[in-house]
Amino acid sequence: MDFTRSPATTFVLNALVALCALILAFPLVWIVMMSLKTQTDVMAWPPTFVFTPTLENFRVLFDVAQAGATSYGTIKVDFLSPIINSVVIALGSVVVSLIVGVPAGYVLARRDIPFKEDIAFFILGFRFAPVLLVVIPLFSLFQSMGLYDTYVGMVWVYQVITLPMIVWLTRSYVEDIPKDIEEAAAIDGAKPVRVVLHIVLPLLKTGLIGASLLVFLLAWHNFALGLMLSSTKAPVTVALLKLLNPGVQFYPVMAAGLVVTMIVPVILIVVGQRHLERGLTFGAVK
Amino acid sequence: MAEVRLEGIRKAYGTVEILNDIDLEIAHGEFVVFVGPSGSGKSTLLRMIGGLEKISGGTLKIDNRVVNLMDAADRNLGMVFQSYALYPHLTVRDNLAFPLRMAKLGKNQIASKVHDAAALLQIEHLLDRKPKQLSGGQRQRVAIGRAIVREPKVFLFDEPLSNLDTELRVQMRVQIAKLHRQLGNTMIYVTHDQVEAMTMANKIVVLKDGRIEQVGSPHDLYHRPATQFVAGFIGSPRMNFLPCKLKAKDEARAEVALRDGSSRWLPVQAGAVEPGQALTLGIRPDDFVAPSERPGELVIEIDVDFVEHLGSATYLYGAAFGEHIVARSPTDHFHAGSGGRVSLAVTPSDCHLFTEKGKALSRLEAPRSWS
Repeated sequence: MDFTRSPATTFVLNALVALCALILAFPLVWIVMMSLKTQTDVMAWPPTFVFTPTLENFRVLFDVAQAGATSYGTIKVDFLSPIINSVVIALGSVVVSLIVGVPAGYVLARRDIPFKEDIAFFILGFRFAPVLLVVIPLFSLFQSMGLYDTYVGMVWVYQVITLPMIVWLTRSYVEDIPKDIEEAAAIDGAKPVRVVLHIVLPLLKTGLIGASLLVFLLAWHNFALGLMLSSTKAPVTVALLKLLNPGVQFYPVMAAGLVVTMIVPVILIVVGQRHLERGLTFGAVK
Repeated sequence: MAEVRLEGIRKAYGTVEILNDIDLEIAHGEFVVFVGPSGSGKSTLLRMIGGLEKISGGTLKIDNRVVNLMDAADRNLGMVFQSYALYPHLTVRDNLAFPLRMAKLGKNQIASKVHDAAALLQIEHLLDRKPKQLSGGQRQRVAIGRAIVREPKVFLFDEPLSNLDTELRVQMRVQIAKLHRQLGNTMIYVTHDQVEAMTMANKIVVLKDGRIEQVGSPHDLYHRPATQFVAGFIGSPRMNFLPCKLKAKDEARAEVALRDGSSRWLPVQAGAVEPGQALTLGIRPDDFVAPSERPGELVIEIDVDFVEHLGSATYLYGAAFGEHIVARSPTDHFHAGSGGRVSLAVTPSDCHLFTEKGKALSRLEAPRSWS
């Protein structure tokens, strides 16, 4: 809707938006700058805004072969495998959540089952509780079951993050599909499974792409589960923490790590922005 | 051949009874309209026939086969929904093809049937569009096309025209009636609009509070309503009701006294009603004529407070004996001004009488059905 606004109001509103953007962008810009500086530039006071950018920090992150010999002294960083771990875990979690969660969300939206609301609330309940609540009991369980530090174990435990979201978003998207459409399909000769395959799933597609992006980001940024339940299969968030090596002035490399960690979500958001907005706001139809 | 037979059909949600003891026979090729106010259960009844609602009791037979527990997909019906319920992600062509694909027909067969249905409904030029690119009337036609393409035994229509504007509604009404003549299938049509019911149906089923009030041809329902409810529901503007008392009766007539003390003999069988008991006199707005001093005619004084000129007719709104009255003016040019009083007459054979419980008394001189 378009309202008429006085130029003064427009100016004030624009200024506020600009201020918000500035506040939000500052840490981001700062980290990107840091990742391109040398250790000396980073430590300089007052901070320098004009400097000769260097890619040394990124080299240190990925240069496993030269491990030990860096300009920061003798350290060994392997940043590639945590990224691979994160991709495998986050992607795997989303896929498993879709396979399990979409049918569950559909049933919660459409069928009359006993204790429906309680089940739905229980699933959502995992999103209220701090992740640590699950982690501590799982730690010993995972060790005894041989799931500690495995992709299967990680994808499994990440369902705590991804599955409730997929179930609830699917439920609300399905509720947005007029029931008439499914009934029309039933009258047209489609049995329940075919109604879902031919009508419901195609209509959910857009919404589910958005929801998948969203939960991928949630999974990507998770820290506690990886920290407690993995070591060699640790995700990138845990690897970042390891860069905070006590005694070593490591800030520029850590900034480079942050930038790398951000790249995957940023690409996803840029590519999938349209779907993401949709996933967050609208249902699948209309 | 497709007959639909409902025997003692019941529907309840928990302890709430939605439909009660519905008995109905629908013959092959009939156009049956379920009509009633909202909450009368007419849509629920249709959806039960379609297999979209569970049947709580009774037997539903299609072609002499009990289908109570049969999946909607297996009943071989076509249905047009109020919301059209087109598949938004499919083109018109694929919407029409969907029932045929579900029936696992071959590609060529599907293409030719889709083409035939599209031609019948004149939507060939829309085949490659998506539903959201269509106007309301076009969507409606696609929805009908999707229902007929599989040549189902029975068509179900659930208030299909209520989302269209008036002009389009009249057009589609004619088109659906023509379609029925062309295809000759059994059609069951739900509406709350009594004009649709009157114009399209062979048989009207009037529902109220989950029960059938009356089943009959439009002519029967108009001239011989079984209850005061049906009399008020069928016909537009609605029938006027005036309180009166039975004064005297013989086998073929009843003498009623109006509030002003005047009394008239009407050709209505009073049955079990005894003199002195209260009755309701029903007069259709269109049955008012100019008083002509004919013996026996019923003259009613109306205090007119509003005049509606429709061009073809003039309706007077006012009051008589403290009740609201609508009357079609016998003369086109009625200029009583506001607060004018006018005397209008009714022929005794045009009068309806209802008992206190709303049951109609038998009218002996009502027009006979022509169908």
